[in-house]
Amino acid sequence: MNSIHHHLDDSTLLSYGAGALNEGFSFVVATHLQMCEQCRERQAQAEAIGGELLASLPPVQMAAGGLNALWAKIDNSAAQPQAISKPKINPQALLDGDYSDIRWRTLVPGIKQHIFDDLESDSGSVRLFSIAPGTTIPHHSHGGGELTLILSGSYHDEIGRFQRGDIADLDDAISHQPIADTAEPCVCLIATDQKLRFSGVINRVLQPLIGI
Amino acid sequence: MAEKTVSWLLAVANKRSREDFAKLYEHFAPRLKAYMMRNGADAATADDLAQEALAQVWRKADRYDPSKAAASSWIFRVARNLQIDKFRKKKFQEVDLEAVAERPDVGIDSHDRSIARIDSQRVHELIQSLPQDQLDVVHLAFFQGLTHTEIGIHLDIPLGTVKSRLRLAFNRLRQTIGDQS
Repeated sequence: MNSIHHHLDDSTLLSYGAGALNEGFSFVVATHLQMCEQCRERQAQAEAIGGELLASLPPVQMAAGGLNALWAKIDNSAAQPQAISKPKINPQALLDGDYSDIRWRTLVPGIKQHIFDDLESDSGSVRLFSIAPGTTIPHHSHGGGELTLILSGSYHDEIGRFQRGDIADLDDAISHQPIADTAEPCVCLIATDQKLRFSGVINRVLQPLIGI
Repeated sequence: MAEKTVSWLLAVANKRSREDFAKLYEHFAPRLKAYMMRNGADAATADDLAQEALAQVWRKADRYDPSKAAASSWIFRVARNLQIDKFRKKKFQEVDLEAVAERPDVGIDSHDRSIARIDSQRVHELIQSLPQDQLDVVHLAFFQGLTHTEIGIHLDIPLGTVKSRLRLAFNRLRQTIGDQS
């Protein structure tokens, strides 16, 4: 198995630890964390910072009788099992390559996509892309952030080569042109918080049609 | 204090000690209330949420591993997930780090590295020593849950500046946490 070479940016991890990423980015970060111990360690460090910030907050007095009320609540609810809310989307299925819940639509020749409509991501979206070998994602930039997690296959661009588990954590300064470069399709999970801007005449014609 | 909170939490986990839970309550409830209020709750709602966070601490205490985290970090995580659930549009369930750790070959990139136990006092000192501009972005992220974009709008600074201040703050604060990378 290969190692992960491309990791989450510190600013992303710190905000994730703080609970300050939007839902779409949180989903992609959480999926990457299931694969990457190095990033899990940094996430734990971010929570340690959170713990210290919490511990040093000036206290605000609780309402009178709070602890007794809490015991009553705990003792009452002990009788009923706690309902565990199911996550909206299970990252494990994606990690296992189980796309049975995925409805692919062709975006352009060589690129299929599935949009996770349930996930909120400001003005952007969360999509699963399947990119055929040799296909180039049209040259584009993005105002705002973009997180791309490789689930299978690989691509390379101006930054480097990205394989399973790698995550590209880009901000708005980056303009890039990823090319899928192995014999199998490159499947990746992409969250953006703004609309993507594609350059080039042909792509500007396509853009309203493909609605990115 | 950090060591005491660890021993109280362990007593709750191992012996279901109500006496030690009462000490955790006394120490953390008013701070959890403060945390929820900073995230936008009114006093009554914050009070309820602090209670709910501590109820979860009672229920899940057996999952606490003192070799991996300070008690305050673990309790912070409970509170953070609760505040996400209540205040933000984000509802996606967080990855459960303890559950992930139990599966030995879960990741591609598994090394034999344990998460070093943090020195709470040192983290506290380093937070106090952060330059004001870094402390401001840290507070906006942790206490108000603002995204990078929202912080940029709030402080009227570019997105790149927000990210670099957060990176600098994180780098400085992790000096104490045994980061080997």
